[in-house]
Amino acid sequence: MLHLDAFPSYDAPVLREPVAPPLPRAAFEHLDALYRLARRLTGDDDEAEDLVQETFARAVDKRAQFVPGTNLRAWLFRILRNLYIDGWRRAKASPVRERLDDEDPAAEGTVGVEPLRGDEELERLRAVVADDIEAALRELSVDARTIVLLDLEGFTQEELAEVLGCNVGTVKSRLSRARAKLRELLREYAR
Amino acid sequence: MDHREARTQLVDRRRGTLDAASRAALETHLAGCEACRHEDAADAELSKLIEERLPRRKAPASLRRSLEARWEPPKAPRAMRLARGFAAMAAGAALAVVVLFLFRPRPPPSEDPMLTEAVNDHLRVLYSEHPVEVQSGGIHQVKPWFEGRVDFAPVVPFAGDDDFPLQGGSIAYFLDRKAATFVFKRRLHLITLFVFRADGLPWPAIATVPVGDVRGTLESSRGFHTLLWRKGDLGYALVSDADPKDLETLAGKVADGG
Repeated sequence: MLHLDAFPSYDAPVLREPVAPPLPRAAFEHLDALYRLARRLTGDDDEAEDLVQETFARAVDKRAQFVPGTNLRAWLFRILRNLYIDGWRRAKASPVRERLDDEDPAAEGTVGVEPLRGDEELERLRAVVADDIEAALRELSVDARTIVLLDLEGFTQEELAEVLGCNVGTVKSRLSRARAKLRELLREYAR
Repeated sequence: MDHREARTQLVDRRRGTLDAASRAALETHLAGCEACRHEDAADAELSKLIEERLPRRKAPASLRRSLEARWEPPKAPRAMRLARGFAAMAAGAALAVVVLFLFRPRPPPSEDPMLTEAVNDHLRVLYSEHPVEVQSGGIHQVKPWFEGRVDFAPVVPFAGDDDFPLQGGSIAYFLDRKAATFVFKRRLHLITLFVFRADGLPWPAIATVPVGDVRGTLESSRGFHTLLWRKGDLGYALVSDADPKDLETLAGKVADGG
């Protein structure tokens, strides 16, 4: 017997308004974290909402590419990050300039031997407030900001590698450089 | 090991994810390198700083409503639903007569009551103005606080560490009994540990997740993960929206004393 319910898109095309195919329910569990990253990438509430909306729309379009049982969270964040970078590339000529990332260690903080700063750095770090941290994060490149923020959200390095499209070894060095750069910026804010 | 390699591994070292050989090499390097030791201390301070001070925004309710309205599974139109409803009612009424004779009525399937309770209790902690009644100055400050407040001694040998700092404790009710509540943090996530008497509770039949020398049950509901296990006379429930692997790691520390 043919069950019409098994073919929802054919069972009353005249009566039914076009309805978009759904996402896995689990996708909505990541909405807050997606919004937080979008907000800190764009620096703007409305743009963050647009970016998240676009992320969900793209996820629906590309849902055939998602393999059930694989990491939905990393897949969604990869879409969001790529959408933001695509938009950033298109807006390259705009007055707002951001760096994407590069492989030059010097671009994200020094990693050689630095002079010992004693407790002074720790004291300065302890003095910074939320606004300082937000401002320092905005000065990081897109991928450095992404990696620091997603690390905070509890992403494993394997998940970060999936989001950023690189290997785990690169994630480790990028995370280390990004955090060093963030500390360097915060020291300046705390002056 | 050079400084660059050492610094790349500092985060992994603090999170306990380094293999033994790498850890040994890093410890040797740190023992002789004051600059990298300082780097480690400053990086740990950075973690604490951003976890404690960076605001943790939620998506606007309007955005959530809009997305859910747009992408929820499609429903059949009203006319179709009504027509189907009448047909189903007619067929159903006839079938029901037969079924009622054949089968005893059973309660509707429901979620594991311990899972539901654990998530509800965790939500109460999250939404409470004072999630902890005793601030943590270390486990030796928190545990004595429970004396006289619960009718058992909570066995929690883990004092918290850099990865799972102990925030404090409080009293909650778990189903029909009092529970000692320990609140830990994992980066930006709160993890609540409820400890209670284990007897007479509807424990899940299947327990597969190793927790020290016993096994527990990992379940998820409403976006939260819960790891339940029992050891001796006591039951334990760890609840959080953190990664389930973090819960397993913390459970292991709670069971083994870190």
